[in-house]
Amino acid sequence: MFNLHLDPEQLEFRDTVRDFVEEEVKPVTLKADRLDLNDRTLPVEVLRKASQMGLRTLTLPEDLGGVGADALTSCIVTEELAVGDADVAAVLTETSALALRLFSAMTPKQRERFGTAFLEDDDYHLALACREPGDDSALGINYHRPAPDMRLATTATRDGDHWIINGAKDCVANGPIAKLIAIEAQTDKGPALILVPRDTPGLTVSEQPEPRWYHGSCGLLSLKDVRVAAGNLVGISGATDAGRAAPLPQALNLGIGRAAYEAALEYAGLRVQGGRRIIEHQAIGTKLAEVAIRLDIVRTAIWRAAWASDHPDAFADRSLPDMPLTTIAKVFTAETIYRAAKDSAECFGAMGVMRDMPLQKYIHDAMICLHTGDGNSDDKLRIAETLANHRRGPSMLAAE
Amino acid sequence: MDFSLSNEQRSWQMTARKFANEEIKPITLDLDEAPDAHGTFDWGIVEKGSKLGFRTLAVPKEYGGEGTDYVTQALVMAELARGDSAISKTFSQNWKWSHLISAACNAEQKERFLRPFVADHRFLLGKGITEPTAGSDNRMPPKDAPKAGLKLRAERQGDEWILNGEKCFIANAPVGKLFFIDARTDANAPLRQGTTMFLVERDTPGFRIGKVFNKSGWRFYRNGEMIFENARVPHANVVGHVNNSDMKAAAAGDRTGGDLFGDLELAANALGVCDDACEQAMKHARTAKQGGQVLFEQQHVQLKINKMNMLTEALRSMVMRVAWEHDHKVHSANAGLAMNYSTDVIQEVTELNLDIHGGAGAKVARHAEKLVRDAFIWSHLAGDTVQRLKVAARLARVAAQH
Repeated sequence: MFNLHLDPEQLEFRDTVRDFVEEEVKPVTLKADRLDLNDRTLPVEVLRKASQMGLRTLTLPEDLGGVGADALTSCIVTEELAVGDADVAAVLTETSALALRLFSAMTPKQRERFGTAFLEDDDYHLALACREPGDDSALGINYHRPAPDMRLATTATRDGDHWIINGAKDCVANGPIAKLIAIEAQTDKGPALILVPRDTPGLTVSEQPEPRWYHGSCGLLSLKDVRVAAGNLVGISGATDAGRAAPLPQALNLGIGRAAYEAALEYAGLRVQGGRRIIEHQAIGTKLAEVAIRLDIVRTAIWRAAWASDHPDAFADRSLPDMPLTTIAKVFTAETIYRAAKDSAECFGAMGVMRDMPLQKYIHDAMICLHTGDGNSDDKLRIAETLANHRRGPSMLAAE
Repeated sequence: MDFSLSNEQRSWQMTARKFANEEIKPITLDLDEAPDAHGTFDWGIVEKGSKLGFRTLAVPKEYGGEGTDYVTQALVMAELARGDSAISKTFSQNWKWSHLISAACNAEQKERFLRPFVADHRFLLGKGITEPTAGSDNRMPPKDAPKAGLKLRAERQGDEWILNGEKCFIANAPVGKLFFIDARTDANAPLRQGTTMFLVERDTPGFRIGKVFNKSGWRFYRNGEMIFENARVPHANVVGHVNNSDMKAAAAGDRTGGDLFGDLELAANALGVCDDACEQAMKHARTAKQGGQVLFEQQHVQLKINKMNMLTEALRSMVMRVAWEHDHKVHSANAGLAMNYSTDVIQEVTELNLDIHGGAGAKVARHAEKLVRDAFIWSHLAGDTVQRLKVAARLARVAAQH
């Protein structure tokens, strides 16, 4: 059974978010003077409205107060949001995905302590701080060779009923806007995630320094004798199997490409040069067809990886190949959408590089996706090791 | 085949290289990062370069210019672009239009315009062609839509012409002192037949500069709107004759329909950017470390560096060959092909460079990212698709002659 139907709820989600983007997101995020000034301040009102629609708590299970959307539905929603704005999509997706991971792993007591505030406050965002300054997470030169263990420099020492945390974190998505941050620290029993509320003394959060090479919000953390209750420890590690995780960043990437494509398609149907609408010229028609092909194949790869993330048994029963489908989707999406954004922008002539128009922003946003993590070359090495059945310990799985 | 440069050519190349290293490189990144369209420009570097002859490189010696050959011009453009592509283009844009003055203007106009141009270190030239409804149509007039193309009107009134209309995206408009302007003098004739070229000085009554465009790349390069509201231009400023203006190509004696200087210019500039990217990539690969070893130890990095250099050297061969052909009055489609090729090469090479510099944790190099933004300007300059189609048409014309 190879079932490509979306259920009525998924289709409704898609339509609702698509309408929200047209009516509430684009009018704010695509304002000419906002684009011209390269203004990337987060549109807080838009984020609040999105939260009111459930988009901040999308994947949190229903019994914990969320919408309970699966990975595929989340990818559909993320793509729609990213068509409107990459930053809006990034913030909401990060909080929503983390909510699922963290709240599912919490004890009932922890859920009680943190759940209500999280659900009720439209401005309540989450962050996960794993990466540290100077971390060398790339596989690179260690391809098919032993790699040194990645040991955390951030430490958590037990002091009676508390943890005392010291260290520094880098590239924390949602860091500057999070009200609760899960910090990965080294305890004497190994690495652990400890929940630290934003206003805890000793925790300093600052914006990730220029150049701005991320979507949404990103920051640096400094922890000096940060004291939290022992009960803030969450029983999961910071690491995930990136190869089989929900491909949400890829869905975001796709949304960027689709925004560029839709703008180009509309323009090509209006702009007259060479005696006819430019879409009626073979060169432009062919270019747009190539973009459309790329978008469709990218979506296929992403949705398949998303479905696989929701149905991991499909690997065991051999319906799906024993491959890191999400990493595959990541490599393909990043390269392909970058080309698609550029080709879309080309249909606009000089306007494709004017800063008061969105096409150059779509290209730049797609370029950011192409250079997140350790880059496509490194991902290909990881895939290669999988192909050769080269197994590594957990410390190498979380390299994102 | 002798690929060596003359002493004079080499000397210009080295002067330009020194200027790029010492004067351009230190200011390029900060100017690029100015937040709006105005802070990205600097008269200081223009004046410094002008004093070394970079602004007047293509003006004949009899008018006080450098009177260089195309090979020299290609070498200088590449060397300056190695420092900053847009700064190089700001200089060479003047060569394009001073070539045109030499080729198409009468003796009186040359005296009247070339002398002040040469004398003033801040005298920049431009040409207004593009309009909001006419971009590709001006480059490749559609046969089945004869009224297509630029609409700026010029109507004769005694000893003057009255110009009405607008131009957009015009290079050097915000900072230039003299502009060629293509105007429609016969609205009922197809573009080529109905266009006349004028020389319009900055202080022409009724003429003003409008918006200055804020671009994602080539940020130093000034592009602006031109607005003509009953602008009064003397008849003595008509270049060539009224109507049937195909002065650029015709004056150069090139019947194959190319843009003699413009195509070479873009290809040579791209070459300089690629040289910069290759240098940056090699330097980074040999110094930055991953897993305790320099990046160059990794095969995927070596392969990228190979590709970058392969493409750059191929482009160099093409650029120098085209420059040589221009100097020897050999006419072919190679200039256009070189320009088309440079569009692909500059983007691939700068993107590979960014790849080598990128990666989690590594702060993405400002310089590498700027080169990518400068590079995709090539696809947005004069209608990339149209430029390729024009060369194909030219090749077909050449084939028909045999």
